[in-house]
Amino acid sequence: MQEISAALFGKPEGIIVWQLIAATRFTIYLSLIAFFGGGVVAAFICFARISPSGLAKRVAASYIWIFQSIPLLMILFLAGLGVPRFLGINVDPWTAAALSLTIFTSAYLAEVWRGAFHAVPSGQWEGGAALGLSFIKIFFIIILPQAYRYALGPTVGFLVQIIKGTSLAYIIGFQDLMLLGKRWANSPIPGSEPYLIFPLMALIYFALCFPLSKIATVLEKKHSL
Amino acid sequence: MAAFVIAILIAAVRFWQIAILAQLLTSYVEFIRNTPLIVQLFFFAFGLPALFSYVWPFWCHALLALTVNFSGYFSAMLYSGFLKTPHGQIEAAKSIGLRKWIIFRKVILPQTLRSMYPSLCSQFIFVFLTTGVISEIGVVDLTHSGLYIDSRTFRSFEVFIVLTVLYVFLALLFRAVLHLIFSKKLNLGN
Repeated sequence: MQEISAALFGKPEGIIVWQLIAATRFTIYLSLIAFFGGGVVAAFICFARISPSGLAKRVAASYIWIFQSIPLLMILFLAGLGVPRFLGINVDPWTAAALSLTIFTSAYLAEVWRGAFHAVPSGQWEGGAALGLSFIKIFFIIILPQAYRYALGPTVGFLVQIIKGTSLAYIIGFQDLMLLGKRWANSPIPGSEPYLIFPLMALIYFALCFPLSKIATVLEKKHSL
Repeated sequence: MAAFVIAILIAAVRFWQIAILAQLLTSYVEFIRNTPLIVQLFFFAFGLPALFSYVWPFWCHALLALTVNFSGYFSAMLYSGFLKTPHGQIEAAKSIGLRKWIIFRKVILPQTLRSMYPSLCSQFIFVFLTTGVISEIGVVDLTHSGLYIDSRTFRSFEVFIVLTVLYVFLALLFRAVLHLIFSKKLNLGN
């Protein structure tokens, strides 16, 4: 593949283009890990946030509040440098980046989903309660099937934020599109000038994010309130 | 602030659908919103100066990149806010002979700001939290000084905890200040 690309764009450029696209792989992996990991955590947080228990509600609310107020950069630094050095252990960039992005994602997704659950009219809850159903039953049988439609659009939209967020993971040495692009831009080889590399990287990120934001807009329109 | 003014202008052009300019700006906004801030930052800090061979201090590059970035986000929000303005109001304003610019400034903008300000605020906080990345090009901001202390003392955990607390505090402060400004302004509008 690298040869084809090199033949297509010429010697240094073709190799750079191919390497950047190959490194995008890790950006996508990290985004997916963060999305699914964060989704699972967010599901629990969100469930706690709307549960009838006062304590669970407060814990979930503070989790969301804290991690929405901390910059992703700080979460990355803490997970990648701060905590490992404090505990005297070695954490590889993969784990640290995945962990930080999972935390970041979970806080925002939990809030998005809570909004979706709130969009379901409260009469639905009361109706379920009037029928004598338990909280769990009302939640899974009545509320969830209605709420997921409201949540779909913003969730896909947030995927864009995650992909953009992964570009920060290079700070703790995560080998993704960002790190490789930066390395190429710093190299003195002609054909890898920063004004070529960075727009190229922007294009790759754009190619990842733009379809997602379009899908998100369509979904949001389709299921708008 | 500069970003905010630019954002209003961009959104206005898109709202009135001024021929080619509106399409260009729409793609500009989409492009900004779908690429990471850090890539834009590196492009403005290293790409453009290398292309046109000029030298600016770091903070100018950072300011430029952040302005471009913020304006993209804000204008997207404002634009969707403008679209929500009831059409009858614009027609009414037109029928009493107001010019487009006046209609925009006196009729559409105040209403949009009033209805959009919660989301504008949260968007601002979100963007503020991402500004730490400007330390990456050598601007001495909060994150940068934290990294400096860290590299001197090697006490990462303490440094980053303190930085985190500071950021949280600043986010709170901004939220409060924005709330104050907007509620004042909007009351005057009434």
